[in-house]
Amino acid sequence: MSIKISVTVNGVKHHDRVEPRLLLVHYLRDVLRLTGTHVGCDTSSCGACTIHVNGKAAKSCTLLAVQADKTKIITIEGLAEDDMMHPLQEAFKECHGLQCGFCTPGMIMTAADLLQHNSKPTEEEIRAALKGNYCRCTGYHNIVKSVQYAAAKMKAAKKPKKEVVL
Amino acid sequence: MSTNDWIGKSVRRVEDKRFITGMGRYTDDIILPQQTYASFVRSPYAHAKIIGVDIRAAKSMQGVVAIYTGADVASVNGVPCGWQVNFKNGDIMKEPKHPLLVADKVRHVGDAVAIVIAESQAEAVDAAQAVNVEYEELPCVVNAAEAVKPGAPLVHADVPANTCYDWSLGNPISEVDEAIHNAAHVSTLEFVNQRLIPNAIEPRSYNSSYEAATDKYTLYTSTQNPHLIRLLMCAFVLGIPEHKVRVVGPDVGGAFGSKIFHYTEEALLTWCTKKIKRPVKWTSTRTEAFQLDAHGRDHITKADMGFDKDGKIMALRVKTFANLGAYLSSFATCVPTYLHGTLLQGLYTTPKINVDITAVFTNTTVVDAYRGAGRPEATYLLERLVDLAAHEMNMDPAELRFKNFIPPFDGINQPGYQTQVALQYDSGNYEGVLKKGLEMLGYENFRNEQKEAAGNGKLLGVGFSTYIEACGIAPSAVVGSLGARAGLYEVGQVRVQPTGKVSVYTGSHAHGQGHETTFAQVVADKLGISMDDVEIVHGDSEAVAFGMGTYGSRSIAVGGSAIVKSIEKIIEKGKKIAAHKLEANADDIEFASGKFTVKGTDKSVGFGDVALTAYVPHHYPAGLEPGLDFSSFYDPANFTYPFGCHIAVVEIDKETGNVILKRFIAVDDVGNVINPMIVDGQIHGGVVQGVGQALFEGAEYDANGQLTNGSYMDYCMPRADDVPMIETAGQVTPCPHNPLGVKGAGEAGTIGSTPAVVNAVIDALWSGGHKVKDIRMPVTSERVWRAMQN
Amino acid sequence: MQLTGKHIINAAPAVVWAMLMDTDTLARIVPGISRLEKTGDHTFNSILEIKLGPVNSSFTGNLQLENVIVQKGFTLRGQQNSKIGNASAALKIGLSLVNAVQTEVAFNGDIRLSGLLATMGQRIMSGVANTLSKQFFANLEKEVEKANV
Ligand code: FES
Ligand code: FES
Repeated sequence: MSIKISVTVNGVKHHDRVEPRLLLVHYLRDVLRLTGTHVGCDTSSCGACTIHVNGKAAKSCTLLAVQADKTKIITIEGLAEDDMMHPLQEAFKECHGLQCGFCTPGMIMTAADLLQHNSKPTEEEIRAALKGNYCRCTGYHNIVKSVQYAAAKMKAAKKPKKEVVL
Repeated sequence: MSTNDWIGKSVRRVEDKRFITGMGRYTDDIILPQQTYASFVRSPYAHAKIIGVDIRAAKSMQGVVAIYTGADVASVNGVPCGWQVNFKNGDIMKEPKHPLLVADKVRHVGDAVAIVIAESQAEAVDAAQAVNVEYEELPCVVNAAEAVKPGAPLVHADVPANTCYDWSLGNPISEVDEAIHNAAHVSTLEFVNQRLIPNAIEPRSYNSSYEAATDKYTLYTSTQNPHLIRLLMCAFVLGIPEHKVRVVGPDVGGAFGSKIFHYTEEALLTWCTKKIKRPVKWTSTRTEAFQLDAHGRDHITKADMGFDKDGKIMALRVKTFANLGAYLSSFATCVPTYLHGTLLQGLYTTPKINVDITAVFTNTTVVDAYRGAGRPEATYLLERLVDLAAHEMNMDPAELRFKNFIPPFDGINQPGYQTQVALQYDSGNYEGVLKKGLEMLGYENFRNEQKEAAGNGKLLGVGFSTYIEACGIAPSAVVGSLGARAGLYEVGQVRVQPTGKVSVYTGSHAHGQGHETTFAQVVADKLGISMDDVEIVHGDSEAVAFGMGTYGSRSIAVGGSAIVKSIEKIIEKGKKIAAHKLEANADDIEFASGKFTVKGTDKSVGFGDVALTAYVPHHYPAGLEPGLDFSSFYDPANFTYPFGCHIAVVEIDKETGNVILKRFIAVDDVGNVINPMIVDGQIHGGVVQGVGQALFEGAEYDANGQLTNGSYMDYCMPRADDVPMIETAGQVTPCPHNPLGVKGAGEAGTIGSTPAVVNAVIDALWSGGHKVKDIRMPVTSERVWRAMQN
Repeated sequence: MQLTGKHIINAAPAVVWAMLMDTDTLARIVPGISRLEKTGDHTFNSILEIKLGPVNSSFTGNLQLENVIVQKGFTLRGQQNSKIGNASAALKIGLSLVNAVQTEVAFNGDIRLSGLLATMGQRIMSGVANTLSKQFFANLEKEVEKANV
C-alpha cells in the first residue's frame, strides 16, 4: 500500500507515492536524494536530521513522509538564496563551527529557527536552543560563536533598512 | 613577509563549503546501481549457545535477496588483531577467532548470527526479524577483575582465566615495592576508569560492490584508514589480491578512534557482494553503534604513589585489569600496554615505576582505542594521585607539581628525557604550561573566592591536570620490536601539474581534522604559491599509493612530514631545471617565495615556469627525467610528546550535589602550529569529550551482560548547555625530530581534561570538609550528594 | 530486576485460587495476554502484547506453574520471546488468609531482559512493572466482583 503525497521541498513541488511507514528523513535522503539531512540516531535525540517544516525547525526522523503532505520544507540544500549563503552558513565557516560536518546541517537549521524569533540571543539562549543537537567534534564552543557571529551579521544587514524607514 | 606565508595562520577551512551547503558525501549518501541493503540478526544474549538458526520463513519474504549464517562463512578467517603482546613468561597472547558471523556461540549482545540482504532497507529489517534463532543461555562475565577468578565463565573455551595476556614494564617490582615501603607518605587509589562509547555522530556505514567482468571490488567505508582496511581485509580475512580491491573512505562524520578498526561487517559485505553480484550496503543504527563500535577505557586499577617527606615522588606502582571485551579488536592489545604503561612517567622525575597489566576477555562489546587511547587512563591515574597526595599531605597541588616536574629540555642542546618506562621524551617545558595556566586562572584570587563560596550554599573547587602524551605514532622499528604487525610511517605524494598547480596525495585521512586546509597550508607555504593552487587528495586507495591513516594525533607529524619530504625532492629537482634555464650551477640556486634564484643575483625563474619545463622538456638538463612528481614514505625517528596543563573550576550545589563546570582552562604545547584556529577547535572538542567522561558518560552493563544505557536516551553525552566556553592558550616547544617541528593536537584535549574536572570536584568536597579520596566517574549529582553525606 | 508487591483481594483464598487456576480467567487477568493455551497440567503457551515505553512488541512463549501448593501459592516461570529481545521471569505467588472474605496476594521474583528490551526498556521497566501489577490486581478484583454478583 502506498499513499500519495505532495510536498514542496526547497521551492520545488514533488508528488510521490510513499509507504505509510517511510520516515520523512528517508524520503528526503533516499527518494529526493537530498542527502544533506543526516541520520545520527534512532531515538530522535541527535538533531542531525533537523529541517524546517512550514518555517519551523523539526527533526525529520520524528515525522512520517505522509505527515509532510502539503507542507513546505526547507533543507540545508535550500537555505542559501540564489548562491547567497545564509549568514549562518558563512558564520560556521568563519568561526570554525564545524569539524566533521555531520551535525552541521542540523545545527544550522536549528540555529536558523532560533534567529528567526530571537535576533540577539545571549550565550545561554543559544546553548539552550541547541541542546537538542549533538555535536561530538567541536565541544560547541565555536558553534555558539558562529551563531553569535551570524546574529550580529544579520542585524547589521537589517540596520540600514530601518534607518531608511525612520 | 610574502603573501604566501601560510604556516601559522588561521586560514578558514577549504572543506567547509560542501558541509555547510549539505553537499558532503558520506558513505550512507551513496546509492549504487542495483543496490541491495543488509540487516543483521544479532544476539540478544551476552553469552549463549546457538542451538539452531531457522531462515526458512525469512527467505521467502518479499524483497529478500540472500541470507547467510555462521555456517556459510565458517571457512572464512576472522578479523585479525594488528598488535601482538606477549605474556610475561614469553608466551604469545591468546588470539581467539573473531568470525564474520558466529556459528557456535554468541559472546556479547549484538554478536552477529546472520546477515539478511534485500531490495530495500525496510525489507531487510523485516526479514531479519523473521529469522528464528534458538539459544541456550550461558552464564556470563562482564567485569575484568571477576573474569580472571577461578570458576568464572569462559568467554572462549581455550582461553584459561579469560586472560589474553599479562604484561609488565618499568623497574623491577622488588625495587618499587621497597621504595614505596620506605616512602614518607603513600597515596593510594583504587578506581575504575569507566567504559566509554565513542559515539561519532555518523554511524558506521559500508557499501561494497563487485564487478564480475574485471573481478574488482570497491568498498566505500566510514574509516580512518582505507589502506589499512584493504590490507587487513584482503590479506588476512578474505584472501583476495589487494590490487583487485579499491577502498574509499569518503567524508567521514567523526571517528575518535572507533573507525580505525577493521570491523567484521566490512569484510562480510565484501564477501557477500561477490556471492550475489550486486552492491550491498549496511549502515549501523545508533542502537547497533552502541553495541558494536569498539568501546574505550574500562580499566580497574590500584595505584600507589610514594613520596619523601618534602613531597618528591619516589615511586609509582600500578596494577590494572583491562577489559578487552569478547574478542580482540584491531589494536586492542596495545592500548593498555604501549599506549598506557609507557606514559606513567608523566611529567615527573619519579625514579621507580612498575606497571602490571592483565588484559581480559569478557562478554561485552570489544574495547579498543578511543580518543587518547591509554594515555587518558595514564594521565587520569597520575593526576588524580598527585592531587590526592597534595590534599593528604596538606600541600598545594600546583606547588607539588612544580617540585616534581622534569626540568625544561629542548631535545637539541639538552638531550631527550629517558623515562623509566621505555620512552624518550623529545622536548618539553612543563613548568611553563602550569605557570601560564595559573596566571589565566588567577590562582590566588580563586582560593579566596573558594572560601567565600562556602558561605553561600556552594562549594567551589579547582582541579589541575598536567599531562603528556606520546603522539605522532610511530617509529616503525620501535613499534615493530614492541609487537606491532605493521609499520607506522606515512606516505605523501606531491604532484606538480604542468601549469604549476599542485595535487597532494596523502595516506592520512581527515574526518573533521581539516587536512584539506592544514596540509594545503604547508604545501603552499613551502612552495611559495597560493593555497588555491593546492589540492589535497586523501581517502582513496586507488588515488593514494599507500597510507597508514589517521589516529594517535599522527597526521601532521607523520603525514605532514611525508609531504614535506616530497616537497624537498621537488625543490631539489626544480633547482636542477632552474639551473639549466638560468645557465647556472644547481648548487648556486636558491628557492624562496615561489622563485628559483641564482644566489647573489636577481636572475630567477618562477615555480610555474620550472613546472612547465619539467613536463615540456625541450630544453632540459641532460640525464634528468621529465616530470615533477615525488612520493615519500616518512618514518618518524621518535614519537612526539605534546603536553599541557588543564585547569577546571567547578561549583557544587550543597543541597543537590549538582556539579556545574564554571571554567575550563587549557594550555597546550603541541609544538609548532600550522593553523591555530584548527588546533583550538581540536582542543575544544577534545576537552568536552574528556569532560563527558568526568561528568556524564559511562557504559552500564547489568549482571546479565546487557548494556542498559545503549541509546541516546540513556547514555548521556555533553550537550551545548552542559559546558562553558573553553579558555585556550598555547606554548610552543618545537618537536626536534620532524621537519615541521609539530607534535599533534587531536587527543590532547581528551587526555588532559578528565582528571582536571574530577580533581576539581574532589577539591570542592575537601573545601567543604568532605575528605573523600575518590569519586566514581561519571561524577553524577547523586554520587556527589552521597559523598557529602559522609 | 526484582519485582515485589502485594494486594488484598475481597474474596476467600479458595475463590482467588480457583480463578488463578482457571485458564480463561487467568487470560483475562494477566495484562497483555492475547492468547493463553493450556498444554499440560500446569503449562501454557502464550502470546502477550506489551508496550514498554518506546518499545512495543508481541511476545510468544511459555508459562509454567511450579511448586503448586493448593490455596497457598505457586511459582510462575516463563520465557517470552519477541523481536526486540527476550524476557524470562520467575515469580513466587503466595496467597494468605486475611479473614474469611479477604486474601492477601503477594508476589516476589525477578525478571531478566535481553536485547533491545534491556537496552531501551530497562530504564522504564520498574514503572512498567508497577503499572502491569496494578492492572493485574485490578483485573483480579473485577473478576471477583463479577463472581460475587
Ligand atoms: S536522526 Fe537523530 S534526531 Fe533525527
Ligand atoms: S562537527 Fe562533527 S559532530 Fe559536529
